[in-house]
Amino acid sequence: MGDFIKKLSLNGRLAVVAFALGFLALFAGTPYHGADATVNTKELALTMATYADQVGVSTLADWIIQGKADFRVVDLRSEQAYAEYHLPPAENIPVAGLGQSSLMHNEKIVLYAEDGTRAAQAWMLLKAKGYKGVYILRGGLDAWKDSILFPRIPGNPTPAQVVEFARAREVSKFFGGTPQALAGDSTAVPQAAMPKLAMPASPAAGGPGAPKKKKKEGC
Amino acid sequence: MMAPFFKFGLFGDNLGMVVAFAVGIGFGFFLERAGFGNARKLAAQFYFTDLRVFKVMFTAIVTAMLGVYYLSVFGFMDLSLVYLTPTFLAPQMVGGLILGMGFVVGGYCPGTACVGVATGRIDALVLFIGIFVGIFGFSELFPLVSGFYNATPMGQLTLPQVTRLPYGFIVFAVVLMALGGFAGAEWVEKRMAARKVEA
Amino acid sequence: MHPTKPAEPYWNPYLAGVGLGLVLLASFVIMGRGLGASGAFASTITAGLTAVAPNHVAGNPAFSEYLKEGTSPLNDWLVFEVLGVFVGGFLSGTLAHRVTRTVEKGPRISTSGRLVFAFIGGVLMGVGAKFARGCTSGQALTGGALLNAGSWAFMIMVFAGAYAFAYLMRRQWT
Repeated sequence: MGDFIKKLSLNGRLAVVAFALGFLALFAGTPYHGADATVNTKELALTMATYADQVGVSTLADWIIQGKADFRVVDLRSEQAYAEYHLPPAENIPVAGLGQSSLMHNEKIVLYAEDGTRAAQAWMLLKAKGYKGVYILRGGLDAWKDSILFPRIPGNPTPAQVVEFARAREVSKFFGGTPQALAGDSTAVPQAAMPKLAMPASPAAGGPGAPKKKKKEGC
Repeated sequence: MMAPFFKFGLFGDNLGMVVAFAVGIGFGFFLERAGFGNARKLAAQFYFTDLRVFKVMFTAIVTAMLGVYYLSVFGFMDLSLVYLTPTFLAPQMVGGLILGMGFVVGGYCPGTACVGVATGRIDALVLFIGIFVGIFGFSELFPLVSGFYNATPMGQLTLPQVTRLPYGFIVFAVVLMALGGFAGAEWVEKRMAARKVEA
Repeated sequence: MHPTKPAEPYWNPYLAGVGLGLVLLASFVIMGRGLGASGAFASTITAGLTAVAPNHVAGNPAFSEYLKEGTSPLNDWLVFEVLGVFVGGFLSGTLAHRVTRTVEKGPRISTSGRLVFAFIGGVLMGVGAKFARGCTSGQALTGGALLNAGSWAFMIMVFAGAYAFAYLMRRQWT
């Protein structure tokens, strides 16, 4: 065998290498491992324990008001739910489409759905695929409605609560919500309409539904 | 799984342009090394005297194909993130036919025309201008041809998908075909050279 | 152009092919895309036309697909790549003393005849590349390596078309 290879010309050797690699391809299996994921259980557990996996609704609201452009918000619900209402800078990527999305691995991404469950599952999927900056919106849309859109102040507020509510009221107005003053000690939440979607959108996202610039990769 | 680096956000668009330029330099360099800046060398393929177009093209395809396959199999690359141009079978076949005609009439293809121009070939420059005219004419007449242009869309389609054979099988088949083709090409060239001596 | 050193012989085609294949592979690995050429021509035309007739460009999808939001159509990966092709070709040609102002043609045709055919060939190339969504660089090499079904069909037809016309063109080359 060694003699055979020594006697071969350069072209011959190239041909042998090519043939060998081609032949091995019969046994090497599928090249599509893109859907595979690795879960570093220790690292993920630590992230969860330190709450570094979450972002609160107030924090997110502040980011949006300050006009920060270094993050993306992903709405994991259906197209219909998204159309009815979504956070101003949010893009709609239903869970099924997470694998093929335009999300980049180094971006800061905040995930939300109705509460926190779906977002937590999506967080796990994306972390397993190596996404570094994913966060769960703590409490999801429910918490957003509760704290940001429809903040409430009880009938007999403490001074601290008054101050807090004044601030919350401004934030709520920014997002088109309706601050509520509750009667007496009641904690019942009156039904309020969801704000229309003509929202002050974060400049970077270019408003809801603005397509990311289409990457032309043909020839 | 780290490659393709750009798709994993390792660098941005601006550095991507630098990569484009660098890749282009490599591309042009090896095209010229192969002799593809010269229309006579290119056209010789179609008169069986010098089959280097076939040899270079398919060696390149096999090399890149094997590289992509094995990098993906071993998990260094996510193949699903590499862009695959969608298939439009009929217009691509007709386009290929027309391009082939243009190749033997003009002597260069768009890429090799650039190499020809860079090495001083005036015929390459004329062809280069012709390409602009062709693209312009096509685009101006686009409403007339857009129906056919968009016909037979098949989405992103690979040979393994079409044949329903495993990817690795097709890789082996392509290697075999290429090696067989190379052996055949060497034989044809020898025969043509011998015939030239006899003549 | 006075000859200086004699032109060096071309490389072993298989070695050149390996080099080409490695460049293509690098593009896949670094960018997640392959090579191309015809797209750069289209981007250039679009950029030029936009300067004189922007509405016309916007109204025609064959041109408007090359427009870019907020920047020139020339700010395109393929345009930079093709610029590199010029540089790389010149570099290799210079190293091998193969840069010379000349017209490549067979013995039986005149220079002007050759240039007429070169122009016609270019026009055909432009049209064919548009229909096929690419040329030999983008479709054949890139699509070929990725086992793209449409690209392989394209490639076969390129050879078929060229061989079919070769007899008619024999006076130009042989």
